[in-house]
Amino acid sequence: MPQRLLILVLLEVLLGWGAGVSAQAQGNGPGVRGARAAALGNASVALDGDAWAVANNPAGLGSLARPTVGFYAQNRYFSAALNVGAAVVALPLGAAPGPEAAADEPGAAPVGAPATPRAWARRGVVALEAQRFGGQLYNETRVGAGYGYRLGQISVGGRVELLQISIEGLGSRRVALASLGGQVEVLPGKLTLGVYGYNLGQARLASYQDERVPTVLKAGLAYRPTAQVLLALETEKDVERPANFKAGVEYRPVGALAARVGVASLSEEISAGLGVRLRDFGLDYAAAFQAALGFSQHLSVTKTWGKGNGKELKIKN
Amino acid sequence: MSFLIFNSAKAQDYPRRPPDLDRLTQELFAEIQSDQVPVEDIYETLLNYYQAPLNLNAATREDLRALLLLSETQITSLLRHREANGLLLSVYELQSIEGFDLRTIGRILPFVAVAGGDGRAARGPLWQRILHEDNNYALLRYERVLQTRQGYTAPTLYQGRPTLRYLGGPDKLALRYRASHSQDFSVGFSLEKDAGEPWAWQPGQGRVGFDYFSAHLVLQARGRWKTIALGDYQLQFGQGLLLSSGFAVGKGAEVITTVRRSSVGVRPYAGLLENSFFRGGAATYQLGPRWEATAFASHRNADANLRQTQDSLAAYDEFSSGLIYTGLHRTATELANRHRLAETVGGGHLGYASANGDLAVGLSAVGTHYGTALLKRPESYNLFEFSGKNNLALGLHYSYVWRNLLLFGETARTTGGALGTVNGLLASLGPAVDAAVLVRHYPADFHSLYGNAFGENYRNINESGVYFGLKIRPAPRWEVSAYYDQFSFPWLRYRVGAPSRGHDALLRLAYTPSKTTILSTQLRQRLKPRDLPTSPDFPVPLPGNYLQQSLLLYYDAALSPALEVRTRLQASRLRLDDVQPWQAGYVLAQDVAYRFGRALKLTARYAVFDADSYDVRQYVYESDVWLAVSVPALYGQGTRAYALAEIRLGKPLTLWLRYAETRYRHQTTVGTGLETIQGPARSEVKAQLRYKF
Repeated sequence: MPQRLLILVLLEVLLGWGAGVSAQAQGNGPGVRGARAAALGNASVALDGDAWAVANNPAGLGSLARPTVGFYAQNRYFSAALNVGAAVVALPLGAAPGPEAAADEPGAAPVGAPATPRAWARRGVVALEAQRFGGQLYNETRVGAGYGYRLGQISVGGRVELLQISIEGLGSRRVALASLGGQVEVLPGKLTLGVYGYNLGQARLASYQDERVPTVLKAGLAYRPTAQVLLALETEKDVERPANFKAGVEYRPVGALAARVGVASLSEEISAGLGVRLRDFGLDYAAAFQAALGFSQHLSVTKTWGKGNGKELKIKN
Repeated sequence: MSFLIFNSAKAQDYPRRPPDLDRLTQELFAEIQSDQVPVEDIYETLLNYYQAPLNLNAATREDLRALLLLSETQITSLLRHREANGLLLSVYELQSIEGFDLRTIGRILPFVAVAGGDGRAARGPLWQRILHEDNNYALLRYERVLQTRQGYTAPTLYQGRPTLRYLGGPDKLALRYRASHSQDFSVGFSLEKDAGEPWAWQPGQGRVGFDYFSAHLVLQARGRWKTIALGDYQLQFGQGLLLSSGFAVGKGAEVITTVRRSSVGVRPYAGLLENSFFRGGAATYQLGPRWEATAFASHRNADANLRQTQDSLAAYDEFSSGLIYTGLHRTATELANRHRLAETVGGGHLGYASANGDLAVGLSAVGTHYGTALLKRPESYNLFEFSGKNNLALGLHYSYVWRNLLLFGETARTTGGALGTVNGLLASLGPAVDAAVLVRHYPADFHSLYGNAFGENYRNINESGVYFGLKIRPAPRWEVSAYYDQFSFPWLRYRVGAPSRGHDALLRLAYTPSKTTILSTQLRQRLKPRDLPTSPDFPVPLPGNYLQQSLLLYYDAALSPALEVRTRLQASRLRLDDVQPWQAGYVLAQDVAYRFGRALKLTARYAVFDADSYDVRQYVYESDVWLAVSVPALYGQGTRAYALAEIRLGKPLTLWLRYAETRYRHQTTVGTGLETIQGPARSEVKAQLRYKF
């Protein structure tokens, strides 16, 4: 059934039919950002310290230590009409407090925290993102701004975006959306819980059939049994579609290299990927396979600069 | 006044944290699966019980059991400790009692206090004690659905007659007052007008503007008179087989302590549920050091629809086909049924408790007389139901503590000769293992009209079953609980056209990394046959294997004294029979509560739900104004959100404001019948003002 739905959606999009009920199922959801998330089956709601958190869960921005730019490209089923491209700039505001200051802050170093104190931007992290999906017949363009703030075990984040949907021959529609997210370190350094609500205001695209941008709630856990292994679990619910359950595993034998696999129940997609990190550069690649529709590929690069905490990088992605 | 402050300061040697009732209720009612359970009633009974802190120096074994938070072994060690070392000096002493770990102490602290002996004389005569009681409140509650429902629109004509409409406005209003002190007194009254009920002044029929009126005065520990109750009250004796009063939490995430009922005796009734209390008088008298006797009498008019018999050979000229428990009197029909059936109840209880309280035995008797005979509709499933005007029930209950075992049970006989029985065993098999076994048998012709002993059904009739419960703490922060309950219904039931059998099983894993954090996951499966829909191929309704499976993932943490978060994922599926397709329901909800200083607390939720049909509707517990509970049934596709503000306007005055909204996708109407709303959303506002004297 899900395959059939996808094919149907694909056809609709390719043929440029009206933005009917099924078309919204393909596009205008929160989507995938970054090849790391894609490799983990997009179980990304509890991940942090990554610029792509701007769309996966802006609360995760709060732990970003250094200014970052990133580019992301996605190709689905070798069709140019389904390409996604995105770019992000994330800027921590206010210098990260030194290790001593971080330890003084109430709740900053909870009992049982790892010995190395982690630091995060004092005034939060702001990020700007632009993304485009589709080809000439049907495309979605969005410009978003996200903000994440972290205090101790808690991070909160929000995002506003402007979404434009264009269908050739039918014109275009523009709506503004607001989303909110949060993350909590249940066990410091080991277990993080993330929740993200996308389009909480249920923005309306068209009065015909009361078409709205989907409202999606995601909740998930990220578990780090050891410093090398990350286990991510997530459930995602679009109000109008069945629930999706996603899981991913990341293994980082050395700081510079990561291997990942993931699955997602609703799209019946499996994925795998590799990540390489060389000081300031990050390069991630993921391939996903859907039994009926074939391969998708994801590639992202990030570049960070400025002073960072070297140890921080090892623990984080 | 200064004397008073001194006195209360002395009694409270520990800064009591406000009880986190939300968390407790979430634990006790982890998963509500039915409309039948009067959650509101249970919640309020518990809340009232918790409102007046239990004095650990005066509490009896039954009082401690009613807390539902202590194991039998812990209760025994507390009582032994009190016996050996005299009265407790402070709650800090709890740490020195065997079996009291920090988690247990943390859980009970909000609900208990350590006070000296009877300080009543120092607080002056009764009227002064009532006037100066700290534990009092007067509250005014207002509620309304914002959208216009069909019942409130102008009537239209259908076949020349106006269609049915509600007679009153859509506002719901309640006014309540209560003051109580544990082991001393309780006084209070409640007035309520439900949405749709008209204002009316008919004092003879109990309509004093408001449609519902209730009041009580209960005095406790007056010499040998343990309790004297006037007005509205509830009774709970033994295992609740004959008399039960809302302490019946039933099966849930707590698998051990909720299995047995506590014999708390006469309880004041101050709730808003219009049909779950006695009205009249009751008294408990201490006959000797080990014996006590209770007598009670009640007379009230219950809602029922009365009919005349057409058949001249029938046993009764006039009869009622059943009592109506909703308490709603909104339409002409509902008003016509209001208070139509006179019900007179009388009875008593004789109880014996051994010197150390280990053995308790009691005899209870309940006689009921209806002014008009009851006669259920002539359906097969009603064949053995109660009919007639009189019912007499006699019961014997016992509980016996031996080492780490608690044996308890109750057996009763009702008019007609049916014997119903429930017997159980709670065992602390080790410091980290608790087990429970309960066996029950309620015949099809067993008529306990006010009972609510342990069972799968809400009423104790036509059911046999065996329950096993197990709770293990394998590591300090982990707890595994499980139960398996097997039941059979020897006669037909409503919507079940054959004798049937089923089971209910639960497995719960809870992890508490800190005192204020809990992560839990729970799986439940219930097989409870129900009739399949009839069709031309399948003309006779026969029960199918109606199977429900559910999953609950829950995270609750107080991240700081000011901030609390909760995440809840609830998913379930069911099928009508083995070969039928599954239907599924899903809810994901996120709650945040933040306290801005002492003056303001905000709570909010955003949830997404999707349930294929009414059968897989999802009940999700929500925070509500103080003393209220909200458990909406969600089905269809949509979002549910609410915001609740608790505002302290001054020391005596607190205001609650609540707004809740359910938005449905692809629906043009919400609700059915007179409750129908044109449009895709339903929103409710609620306001409550509390004044503490």
